[in-house]
Amino acid sequence: MSEHDVRLTVNGARQRGRVESRTNLADFLREDLGLTGTHLACEHGVCGACTVLVDGRAVRACLMLAVQADGTEVTTVEGIAAPDGTLSPVQQAFMECHGLQCGFCTPGFVVTVTAFLEANPDPTEAEIREGIAGNLCRCTGYQGIVEAVKLAATRLREGVDA
Amino acid sequence: MKAAPFDHHAPESVADAAALLAEHGDEAKVLAGGQSLLPMLAMRLTRFEHLVDVSRVPELHGITTDGDLRIGASTPQAVAEHDPVVADAVPLVARAIPHIGHFQIRNRGTVGGSIAHADPASELPAVALALDAVLEVAGATGTREIAATDFFEGTWSTALADDEILTGVRFPVWTGRQGAAVREVARRSGDFAIAGVAAAVELDAADRVARVAVGLFGVASTPVRASATEAALTGASVAEATAALADAALAAADGFDAVDDLHATGAYRRRVTTHLVQTALTAAIQEASGVRA
Amino acid sequence: MSDHGIGAGRYVGQAVQRKEDPRLLTGHGRYVDDVTVPRMLHAAFVRSDLAAATIRSIDVSEALALDGVVAVLTGHDLNGIAGSMQPSMNVENSPFPCAPLRPLAVTDVRFVGDPVALVVAESRAVAEDAAELVFVDYEPTPAVATIEAALADGAPLVHPEFGTNVPVDFPMPADPEVEALFASAAHVVEHRIVQHRYNPVPMEPRGVIAGYDNVTGELDVWLSTQGPHEARLTFSRLTGVPEQHVRVRMGDVGGGFGQKFFTGHDEQVVVLAAKHLGRAIKWIEDRRENLLAATHSRSDLADVALALDADGRILAAKFDHVEDAGAFPVGGLGGVGPFVSMLFPGPYRIPKIWWRSRIVCTNTCGRGAYRGPWMFETTAREEILDVAARAVGIDPREIRRINVVADDDQPYNTATGMMFERVTPATTLEHATQVIDYDGFRATQAAAFAEGRLLGIGIGLYIEPTSSPAGSLGVEAAKVRLEPGGSVTVFLGTAAHGQSIETTMAQVVAEHLGVPYEQVAVIQGDTDRTPFGGGTGGSRTAVIAGNATRLAAQRVREKVVEVAAHLLEAAPEDLEVADGRVAVRGTPSRAVTLAEVATAVHNVGGVAVDVPRVLEATGRYETQGMTWSNACHVCTVEVDRVTGQVTIGRYVVSEDCGRMINPMVVEGQVQGGVAQGVGGVLYEHFVYDDDGNPLTTTFLDYLLPTAVEVPRVEIDHVVTDGGNPSGVKGMGEGGAIGSVPAVFNAVADALSLVGATVLDQPLTPLRVVEALEAAGA
Ligand SMILES: Cc1cc2nc3c(=O)[nH]c(=O)nc-3n(C[C@H](O)[C@H](O)[C@H](O)COP(=O)(O)OP(=O)(O)OC[C@H]3O[C@@H](n4cnc5c(N)ncnc54)[C@H](O)[C@@H]3O)c2cc1C
Ligand code: FES
Ligand code: FES
Repeated sequence: MSEHDVRLTVNGARQRGRVESRTNLADFLREDLGLTGTHLACEHGVCGACTVLVDGRAVRACLMLAVQADGTEVTTVEGIAAPDGTLSPVQQAFMECHGLQCGFCTPGFVVTVTAFLEANPDPTEAEIREGIAGNLCRCTGYQGIVEAVKLAATRLREGVDA
Repeated sequence: MKAAPFDHHAPESVADAAALLAEHGDEAKVLAGGQSLLPMLAMRLTRFEHLVDVSRVPELHGITTDGDLRIGASTPQAVAEHDPVVADAVPLVARAIPHIGHFQIRNRGTVGGSIAHADPASELPAVALALDAVLEVAGATGTREIAATDFFEGTWSTALADDEILTGVRFPVWTGRQGAAVREVARRSGDFAIAGVAAAVELDAADRVARVAVGLFGVASTPVRASATEAALTGASVAEATAALADAALAAADGFDAVDDLHATGAYRRRVTTHLVQTALTAAIQEASGVRA
Repeated sequence: MSDHGIGAGRYVGQAVQRKEDPRLLTGHGRYVDDVTVPRMLHAAFVRSDLAAATIRSIDVSEALALDGVVAVLTGHDLNGIAGSMQPSMNVENSPFPCAPLRPLAVTDVRFVGDPVALVVAESRAVAEDAAELVFVDYEPTPAVATIEAALADGAPLVHPEFGTNVPVDFPMPADPEVEALFASAAHVVEHRIVQHRYNPVPMEPRGVIAGYDNVTGELDVWLSTQGPHEARLTFSRLTGVPEQHVRVRMGDVGGGFGQKFFTGHDEQVVVLAAKHLGRAIKWIEDRRENLLAATHSRSDLADVALALDADGRILAAKFDHVEDAGAFPVGGLGGVGPFVSMLFPGPYRIPKIWWRSRIVCTNTCGRGAYRGPWMFETTAREEILDVAARAVGIDPREIRRINVVADDDQPYNTATGMMFERVTPATTLEHATQVIDYDGFRATQAAAFAEGRLLGIGIGLYIEPTSSPAGSLGVEAAKVRLEPGGSVTVFLGTAAHGQSIETTMAQVVAEHLGVPYEQVAVIQGDTDRTPFGGGTGGSRTAVIAGNATRLAAQRVREKVVEVAAHLLEAAPEDLEVADGRVAVRGTPSRAVTLAEVATAVHNVGGVAVDVPRVLEATGRYETQGMTWSNACHVCTVEVDRVTGQVTIGRYVVSEDCGRMINPMVVEGQVQGGVAQGVGGVLYEHFVYDDDGNPLTTTFLDYLLPTAVEVPRVEIDHVVTDGGNPSGVKGMGEGGAIGSVPAVFNAVADALSLVGATVLDQPLTPLRVVEALEAAGA
């Protein structure tokens, strides 16, 4: 059961830690770094609640070992809003469109949608639904989320801040 | 749901990786994108003392064309999906990848991992089989090549030895006018297919079917090549092929031992396969002959 | 704004944005797994992998020897020190026999997932390592996995203590009048209708952190729950720690849908272990455990029959219902038993009914509440109505029009003794079918069928019982306090887990106290700080907590006015409170702020001695019988004739939940409920094989619908006064009720075009194809 030193950048801050081989990135973020915004709802890659950005790409933090994140730049939901707490356009749109109820799936959606809109700034509704299909929500029926993605896309395209 | 303990190794070269595998024998397993192996470890459905992580071995990354299209085993599926070289050289590969899970999965999952994992419901193994891909393999004692036809032995089981690494996959590049299509039925968006078809068609100058490749996935214990379907269409004119499609598609459904599971019966799989083969080939033939659907 | 008014107020009735959102959107929510307490240990359960077996021995020695393991507890350690594990409603007066709960299995196991040992270790990973080293020697015994198997002659007994697998059997005496109506009816339809097993599956699994201090005798618990106060009572009875020394707190809770309403078995074991060891223990359920062993739901069947006259008018019904409680149901004995039969007539005039209600036990995971626990009445009724419409030869909408309870039938007493008033099923039926253009769809359907395509439309019409007057569930208290700085705090016994209670109850207070919404904060989920409450579930918050909150806010306003009257030297009746200021009506410059009022009260000489010096009030509301809300769901589908896949086209809900506190929240509840019903009919199925082995314990097999599968829901609101001071009706559960028959009937309608029939759910592609093949289509 080997242990490893890892160094990585999380939400812009340099971090280091010592992890067991088996520790996944989500547990490392939550337990070692105290970043509990990344949630675990299945731990086997299906629900998307644990989604974070690694080097700018959205991945399942439960399906990546902490040691595999050595040397990477990680963004979690805690790193999406502006440093002064101002919500990002995606977060603001979720709030306005009632894109969350219990909030447990929400960090994964916020991160996923942030990455999705970067790759596809002007999506159709079908593309939006496909784009968020890797994230499960049990509360909203997705309608508020889909509306939020549309609103955020419009605002991001128009360069409006939130 | 936490994995049992293991040691993670991060070799920097294929040679080092092969040496680690040789050293630890059946207590070691290759780890690539982890999108299949890590959930199985977390659920404790399998366990290994040593994981040899090839995801960051530089020589396993990269996409090149020199006659064949070669994709390094550790190339993330998302990289191959969006690489214009892939879409241009072997369109069927580029069209198959978006059907794999969700984009977050494809950001980590690798092309080699998908093939080495040999899930019968996976897209890429069927594509490799249908296109006569060649799998490049390295072990402690050297390298070898395995034809895709000889590679897939059963569910999650391949011709790779315990201490071998898949280093890359070579897909032949077709140069004629061609069309490619992937069609599948899954319970939900992004799920593994309960039946799927990857099909490509190449026409010669006389508008005859020069080559046709049909791979089936999700229907049997391995990916399946629909050889009877291919034979029925090869050499036919577009009109003849179109006319023969229905029967050729029926032949596809007879060519495998269909599996029964929680989501579908073998009979269901055969029924749907016929339909999917027909629609995929129709699309591929239309594309090759320049008809816009 | 009038008190009973239906129109919107300044805050109530507005789609104000949620107070919960900023923290949840930025990763600053606090769910139980986010909480860490000093020297906390971690637990993992060892669970049975057999559905029924006797235990020969349990060997924990290897597990105990593992580095990092602190304890491996079995029933020998815990069962003897455990008090009752039953919820209060069972302890007080259970009409049914209670399942023989015990912390850990000692002599035998009764379902796959039944906990046998609890490993306590330095980390969850080590606890799981050790759990694999606990060796249980089992002697397998025969199991019953289905209702049919449990009812069979000579079936093995799930609980020998009961001496039967059918602990509840409530038959009405045979009714000759019903028999006579059936004998002479123009049409009789009968079918066995089955509702398959599917589950709440909150995205956050269950979880608990329990700490016990041997010196102070205090038990401190963090819990993912829908009812912290009930949990405190439960833990107190379980451990013997007096109630006032038990504190239960919840932070944010990631959904419950009924699963977390009563305090779960496994959470109780962890609390007991913490007390026993004198150490804090965290247990976070993983997804496999949640699917396997938390609670299961639905799983009902009934033989249903309708007698109708030649025009399709219902003359009588028979409803022979069996509910599967599993092995160790959570709550009552399983679901809601006879209540299902009593609600079966729903929004229709059914003059005569005979019913029988049985609850059976099986060697499966225990049943628990799930959003609309009684909903099988709607599934069964709405499905048989469509069967009846086809038998009579009239449209499914027509049969509903003929039989629906109209406005002027009310108050209407059903043949099962329910009294409906202030419901609008006829109106919502008309609205929903108009919005979806029912007649237009029939034309589209015919045109599509001419091309060989199968389109269908389905209706689900129901009346939803809300804010039930059952024990402590019918009462709620709210405390409202004006803080010295002028802000307002509301203390509630509710336990929100997605329902936006911090928002809606702040709206109520802002409205009725006259302060800006931004200045109101809602505190809930801490037994040390909040008044006792029955928890959040049963669509009870809006009506019961809402009216209690309204009353408390009004009382504080009265006190504020009284103080301000002294300060302003004006008569109280000349004052009005708005925007956090008390002003003399007509002379806005003569005003004091609420902060000034509070300062006056809290300082020496601030006000005359005879003025009340407490700016705090408690409101208590007891429900005046059931509040009924109602809705009509209509949806269209297309069935793929080759693959059997179902695609939903349009989905319309017309609903009446009385006066809405926040329409955005109402619509979110409807949309979320519909998604759960769609999931149930088309995708979700918890499957056991005949030996009781579960086959769907991961998210790869238990299929929750994604954004691609769930339709957009168009919502029409009909607003009828709820008949209580604030005019509201509950509505949290209905979305998950009406959606099931709406989707089912739409598929059945499409299949009927080619003479194919389906009766069972889920409507998987395979089942649809088999139905098509059976019909030769
Ligand atoms: C929610 C979800 C949905 C998915 N849906 C699909 C889908 O629809 N279609 C689909 O095809 N896949 C799907 N996948 C699986 C995904 O594509 C995997 O990424 C892929 O199967 C394995 O690739 P990997 O790089 O992640 O390999 P890993 O998980 O790291 O490894 C998988 C196996 O392959 C072996 N292996 C990997 N690389 C090599 C190598 N270079 N040499 C030798 N052995 C190697 C490993 O030892 C292991 O046994 C899904 C996964 C998830 C979590
Ligand atoms: S927790 Fe990672 S995908 Fe579910
Ligand atoms: S908001 Fe509760 S799971 Fe999505």
